[in-house]
Amino acid sequence: MDNISIGIWVTGVMLLLVVIGVRVAFAAAIAGFIGLVWIFSAKMGFEKGFLVAVKMAGTIPHSKVSTLALSLIPTFILIGFLAYHAGLTRALFEAAKRWVGWLPGGMGVATVFSTAGFAAVSGASVATSAVFARIAIPEMLKLGYDKRFAAGVVAAGGTLASLIPPSAILVIYAIIVEQDVGALLMAGFLPGAVSALIYGGLVVLLAVTRKDFGPPVTGFSWKERFESLPGSFPIFFVVAIIVICIYGGVGTPTEAGSLGALMILIIALYKGMRMHALKESLLETAKLTVMIFTIIWGVLLYVRFLGFADLPSAFSDWITGLDQSPMITFLMILCAYAVLGMFMDAIGMLLLTLPVVYPAVMALNGGDAVTAADSAFGVSAVGCSIWFGIIVVKMAELCLITPPIGLNCFVVAGVRPECSVQDVFRGCTPFFVADVITIAVLIMLPGIVLWLPGLMGFT
Amino acid sequence: MSSSSTVLEDGSRLSWADRTLFRFETVLTLLGGIVILLLVFLASVNVLGRWLFDLPINGYVDWVEQAMAFFAFLGIAYTQRMGGHIRMDMLVGHLKGRLLWLSEFISVLLMLGVTLVLIYGSYLHFYRAFQIGDSSLDIDLPTWPAKLVVPVALSILALRLMLQIWGYLRAVKQGDDEPIAVPLIEDAATVAAKEAEAVMGSLTEEEAK
Amino acid sequence: ATEWNVSTWGKRRAFTENLEKLAELVAQKTNGDFKLNISYGGLSKAKENLDGISIGAFEMAQTCAFYHSKKNPTITVAELPFSRDVTLTRMTEIYMELFKHPLVVKDLARWNATLLMPTPMPQYNIVSKSDALNQLADFSGLRVRGPGGIMGVLSKLGAVSTGVPFTEVRQSMDSGVIDAASFAPHAHLATNSYKVGKWATTNLNLGTANCPVIVNTDALNALSPEHKAALLGSVDEALAYYVNNYDNNTTGKYEAAIKESGLTQVTFTAEQTAELNTLAESVRAEWVKENSGDFDAQAVLDFTKAQFAK
Ligand code: NA
Ligand code: NA
Repeated sequence: MDNISIGIWVTGVMLLLVVIGVRVAFAAAIAGFIGLVWIFSAKMGFEKGFLVAVKMAGTIPHSKVSTLALSLIPTFILIGFLAYHAGLTRALFEAAKRWVGWLPGGMGVATVFSTAGFAAVSGASVATSAVFARIAIPEMLKLGYDKRFAAGVVAAGGTLASLIPPSAILVIYAIIVEQDVGALLMAGFLPGAVSALIYGGLVVLLAVTRKDFGPPVTGFSWKERFESLPGSFPIFFVVAIIVICIYGGVGTPTEAGSLGALMILIIALYKGMRMHALKESLLETAKLTVMIFTIIWGVLLYVRFLGFADLPSAFSDWITGLDQSPMITFLMILCAYAVLGMFMDAIGMLLLTLPVVYPAVMALNGGDAVTAADSAFGVSAVGCSIWFGIIVVKMAELCLITPPIGLNCFVVAGVRPECSVQDVFRGCTPFFVADVITIAVLIMLPGIVLWLPGLMGFT
Repeated sequence: MSSSSTVLEDGSRLSWADRTLFRFETVLTLLGGIVILLLVFLASVNVLGRWLFDLPINGYVDWVEQAMAFFAFLGIAYTQRMGGHIRMDMLVGHLKGRLLWLSEFISVLLMLGVTLVLIYGSYLHFYRAFQIGDSSLDIDLPTWPAKLVVPVALSILALRLMLQIWGYLRAVKQGDDEPIAVPLIEDAATVAAKEAEAVMGSLTEEEAK
Repeated sequence: ATEWNVSTWGKRRAFTENLEKLAELVAQKTNGDFKLNISYGGLSKAKENLDGISIGAFEMAQTCAFYHSKKNPTITVAELPFSRDVTLTRMTEIYMELFKHPLVVKDLARWNATLLMPTPMPQYNIVSKSDALNQLADFSGLRVRGPGGIMGVLSKLGAVSTGVPFTEVRQSMDSGVIDAASFAPHAHLATNSYKVGKWATTNLNLGTANCPVIVNTDALNALSPEHKAALLGSVDEALAYYVNNYDNNTTGKYEAAIKESGLTQVTFTAEQTAELNTLAESVRAEWVKENSGDFDAQAVLDFTKAQFAK
């Protein structure tokens, strides 16, 4: 059997293992190991092939994990776990309410913008939704907003956390495709802001067109507005640190993340966080870090096997050989992601698919050295790898609010017993439409993604 | 996708073994968390020192690269105990009773297999570095301690997996609905509630309402 | 048919043309019966290529001596500063002689590895984004990424060795994790270091990195006589092609890029060069002292030095 057939078989085994409920990291590691044994045995006999595979596999966990750029991940996670203790969520929501609450559907708009603000200290969408489900939903219900809408806007707002830095998932994407982490983080800013604006516009539109939508909150004086700001200053600090460090060339992304985490930690301690809460935050951070790193090395073991089987290049040859326009193929890939995302977690989905899909997308665009002018998607090779990263992360986020497994919706329903999961999914429908519009905009206007990285010299 | 679940306890030997190992795993995970905190301090001092006083930490890159294996691996068994390694539970979520425990048993057995292979392979990787005195690029830190963390942490994971195999076998035999010492499958809403709780940590009364 | 997996890293560039040409020649000579499949990073991390060869996971790989000096101490001799700028053709000859030295052969045999051919590179020069360099004392506190020999000399002037990954060089320089990178022209081009830098040295003669192509000894011995002949018989031609390509297409391109980006060119005076050479002398002596416990380092140094003097 040739290597490519082995590659396809082993990939099938991996998907089977994932479907029957083996932990994703280990399903990938098992498949990768079986694949290595298979390939080496075919070449040098089973006994020797097995031993070579064991030795090869044994180098991967340590070597893949000790990648400098990955050190960013735990700092981003820590920021998220500490942000709540620093009192940022309530302060943000309060400020947003006073500043934009007067708009039609004002509480919804305030929720969108405060989740967007919280996204700047949180790397995880699910956590953001969980926090705001406690803060924003009760207030909206009190004012007579529709239950489904209130739940939907919180679930959808949470997804902004993965585009607006800090974002663990963008870091993981950058590592997998070997693109500059800083460039990807900067690239996330504008699309995140555009997403938030589209969400906000949608809420206003809904409020204007529907009867009994829920009242705006008015009557805040300018003094009250300005008084609400200091509480949310740490957010601006974190954003400033990240921008100054990465864009201004003061430090690496890891250093930016660390400075942010340190500052949030100091504020949390000042706000009275106890030893117990710190310990819990560290445990949770460590657990999530281990989860992410395990899936990274597990999947990279499988990717190493793919390297030997040469499956990615075979796949991209096939994709580029299709008799249709590259854009159609690209849109079909995105649809495949939408379907896959219904059933899978974002990080797992990206890690499992990117090693094969990413080279294919790059090839579709015209290869590793193509200029924007000669390319299929109007972006240079470097631009394509950044642009595709943002789009695919946005796709993965979209899946957090679609049935049957929309994690953000489950979280909101879990926190608010009065909302059923069905309610939340229903409430998310308009935001699903908004996300599709956002993705279309990002595909048509790659400049939104590439402008900031372009200023840094990534074009 | 699920990422955390409950483990039931009782007075049996299995449960005792589970709790004892769990205490040990918790300490290791907390150690991993502390290493993360140290990384945060180190990186902050490095960037501030460099920016303000032009005094970076010598060998910063080497230290970070050596530290990573610690926080990436020390908590691996704890995460398994807590059901924290993500998976797709679309299918297993619908199984009940013996069939469920049988499928969990198979899944954990497969994990144990690959873990044992990796323990041996990563031990060899460590041993090569140890034998030749392999060192980091700039300040010649020995690389073997970080490489040793991998087989050690994976060995603890192997212990955890053996315990779970014991637990699932018992459950298959007894046909329990709620066996001890193994993470129970929870519906998405419960998982979500816990996810939320983890972020919130210590809530004040008022906010919890 | 025989297929060999070949592990290198990064993208196809001047640095990898010896491998690419070798693969082309071998396929030609055997009518496609012996294939070298070159993988850019798919088979191993750059720093673990020697491990991969030792394990037998792939049959051929490119590696650099300074990535793991303790694993291949003998060939780090070629990274020492000999204060001589020799042509790439001459570099090739020196390496080929060194690779046949019994102590070197023995050193690599521990990894089940045989040195097949070198990847000769011009003397490394520095691109830096720090303030202008006016005197040697300005090296003090400069954070530089570079191989052992150069860093040995520069650290005597107070420079700090900082080993960021190859792919992160530009970003590290941008953010100040490193102030300078020491590379051969092709690598300055590949990392875009010159787009961030403010000045570049033009006549540093403190050595280059030694990045040989190695093969798994068992795999080499298992080749059929025709295949083996095709492989070994193609080395000289592959190297000649490599050198020609490097001299004519890469070095000039780099020099033009430096000019176009407006970097200040730092050219060391005769006195400064003399001072650097004195430091280089002591770095060579230290190398001998450091390695004498493991092998006859003095003999290897003398041998290499004689080659450079020719
Ligand atoms: Na974020
Ligand atoms: Na979904």
